[in-house]
Amino acid sequence: MKVKVVSRILEANDRIALENRRLFDRANVFVINLMSAPGAGKTSLLERTLSQKTGLKVGVIEGDIAGSDDAERIERLGSPVVQINTGGACHLDANMIYEVLDDLPLDDLDILFIENVGNLVCPAEFKVGEDIKVMLLSITEGHDKPLKYPLMFQESSALILNKMDLVPYTDVDIDKIRKDSLSLNPKLRIFDVSCKTGEGIPAWVDWLKERARRV
Amino acid sequence: MHEVSLASGLIEIVSGQCKNNGYQRIDSVNVKIGRASGILPDALIFAFDAMKSDSLAKDAVLYIEEVLVGGHCRDCNSDFAVEEEYVLNCPCCGGLSFDVTAGREMDIVDMEVS
Repeated sequence: MKVKVVSRILEANDRIALENRRLFDRANVFVINLMSAPGAGKTSLLERTLSQKTGLKVGVIEGDIAGSDDAERIERLGSPVVQINTGGACHLDANMIYEVLDDLPLDDLDILFIENVGNLVCPAEFKVGEDIKVMLLSITEGHDKPLKYPLMFQESSALILNKMDLVPYTDVDIDKIRKDSLSLNPKLRIFDVSCKTGEGIPAWVDWLKERARRV
Repeated sequence: MHEVSLASGLIEIVSGQCKNNGYQRIDSVNVKIGRASGILPDALIFAFDAMKSDSLAKDAVLYIEEVLVGGHCRDCNSDFAVEEEYVLNCPCCGGLSFDVTAGREMDIVDMEVS
């Protein structure tokens, strides 16, 4: 007997992501799913972002395979933070986020960053209930990355190019990164930053504030 | 890379539907996987076979139909499919105004139950 099954394989995840989104909307919080390879500078970007005087209350969910170093870095800046250890899983999924929502003062927050596990593949597939996805690429990773990992570039609303202070010391072709990224996703907003020097951070934070205000 | 979580979700969905329809076992499952979905068909089959033992799908065979990345060009009005996992410009006219219409599938199509 043949039975039709019209369903996405990720249906269960998508359902929980929708429920997360409902809770975020009710609390009026703008949620960013922040994704990158390991070591691109996600936590450094958050430290820089949180240090800007925005008048906005920002919370963070830290996703890591193990350890709580990142959460401690955020906590030192006085922001509400929850650490998730995936225990080996290469991405955060909607249920992991749902499980920790009670540990955050959602009603008090304007913005919530979900720092995903460092990985350029899987996090792009799993919705967690976010308003937007933002991708960070450190320029030392090389200009071949947009075409090697197209999905993440296609799914993101903004691409932050980090470690721009290192450009003089590398052979990386920044124009190629820009061109390929925009070919994959013409609506992508690209920011050049250096989390080391702080260069470019205000422009990114202004854009973020503007997006968050629209919620 | 996340084929195990996908296989687990897949087994849950088909087992649930099998039970709801009043059948005892699943003989086969057909799914469509797009080339741009980030899923390796071999790894998905491996994970499915490794995780099916305690479910109604324990004897089921997983069949995967791969879907090429395809699009429609607004410049030359052609429908196209490509071998790559992405489209940078229309393979017919080189234009940049195109919509990607296929390649992200992760869909369960149907299953054989008894």
